[in-house]
Amino acid sequence: MIEWSVITDSLPQYASGLWLTAQLTVLSLAAGLMMAIPLSVMRISRKRLVAGPVWAFTYFFRGTPMLVQLLLIYYGLGQFEWIQGQWQADNTFWLIFREPYGCALVTFTLNTCAYTTEILAGALRTTPHGEIEAAQACGMSRVTMLRRILIPGALRRALPAYSNEAIFMLHGTAIASTVTLMDLTGAARNAYSQHFAPFEAFIFAGLLYLTLTFALVGLFRLAERRYLAHLQPRKAIKGPTT
Amino acid sequence: MTQLTVEDLHKRYGDHEVLKGVSLSAEAGDVITIIGSSGSGKSTFLRCINFLEQPDAGRIHVAGEEIRLVRGGDGHLKVADAKQLQRLRTRLAMVFQHFNLWAHMTVIENVMEAPVHVLGLSKAEARERAEAYLDKVGIAKFRDAYPAHMSGGQQQRVAIARALAMEPAVLLFDEPTSALDPELVGEVLKVMRALAEEGRTMVVVTHEMGFAREVSSQVVFLHQGLAEEVGAPAAVFDQPRSERLRQFLSGSLK
Repeated sequence: MIEWSVITDSLPQYASGLWLTAQLTVLSLAAGLMMAIPLSVMRISRKRLVAGPVWAFTYFFRGTPMLVQLLLIYYGLGQFEWIQGQWQADNTFWLIFREPYGCALVTFTLNTCAYTTEILAGALRTTPHGEIEAAQACGMSRVTMLRRILIPGALRRALPAYSNEAIFMLHGTAIASTVTLMDLTGAARNAYSQHFAPFEAFIFAGLLYLTLTFALVGLFRLAERRYLAHLQPRKAIKGPTT
Repeated sequence: MTQLTVEDLHKRYGDHEVLKGVSLSAEAGDVITIIGSSGSGKSTFLRCINFLEQPDAGRIHVAGEEIRLVRGGDGHLKVADAKQLQRLRTRLAMVFQHFNLWAHMTVIENVMEAPVHVLGLSKAEARERAEAYLDKVGIAKFRDAYPAHMSGGQQQRVAIARALAMEPAVLLFDEPTSALDPELVGEVLKVMRALAEEGRTMVVVTHEMGFAREVSSQVVFLHQGLAEEVGAPAAVFDQPRSERLRQFLSGSLK
């Protein structure tokens, strides 16, 4: 027997949980992508001093579970007296790490940034050599070439792999509930503990995650249609448009 | 006016000396074709002119200005001033064997790209220029298509329009028809012929002997890294002096 009241009674909590999950996902994906663009350029550098630190960063964040990263930042940092000192001094930057929201956002951002950096670095490495030569031959500077040819091409080629990363990230935010945040999973746990009806509590959360996932997939499909038009099967060539 | 001079260009890959001192001089309006069997160094020579390959020795002047070079610590010749090279490269537009269009840009974006982001033209000026040159190469109606959706011949004509949009002193063609299906070669050669007739200065590496004979003002036959024979097309094709050239011509004219 399904106890619908478990869901209906907790609807406001589910709604605010959904909002928090969406917020954490979108903010961490956006910040992670912004940071990943310059990092991926450094990652493919031939200079060890430039590529090495980025390699170490992505190796650490891809090589450990995100839950461990979150616990390390949320519980671990507070152990250091220096950080406690910064908190007492009301240092705005370090106060981020006293709040579960700040810790979750930083962890998720760094984690997705690491994966995205590797995805983009792979896409940058597969830039056709001829496109680079054509850019050099017409007198482009390195910066212009990166900005106009390499990065735009790589972002497009990375889109299918990146859409997977975005979906993993959406699902990954569920661990925010382990540091007291009332995200979608947190709301479901709450509903469960109030009513002792785990099936209803979690199946509804699952359905909401599914909806978010489909929305994300839809967005990426639109983006691919727009940005990967040059890789799609040929459409009839239209005549002059102006 | 002399648009391009190359003096005594040398290039080696390890122990293999590909170019053993090749020189060339192009006056405005000259069409110089470079012929030779594969491995003779003709593509390498062309690619050394705009430093897509680093020559080991030699001097290059573009539109009266010498590309400043210094010898690095490892003994290799290097460009002294990257900014100068970038500026002179805008005077030397190149058309590649494999077109090398930027895949994520439409035809018109490909042609507008360098005029806007290298020469600093406004979008409106660049668009006007791009449309004029796309029209010239007969590809204006594909302006919003992507390169992957076009035939090789069409892509190569876009690449020629992209080179022309730089309004360079010299056009460099690196085997522009070698990657094309035989029935598409004609449309590209026709465009190149028209450019030659307009008096554009061109250096063309090619296997198209008919084109070389009819269009060029000078033919250079490269053999084993040396300019074995240089002269007017009539002299080179009808009275070859060296045995090597005779053999090459009898092989290619069949």
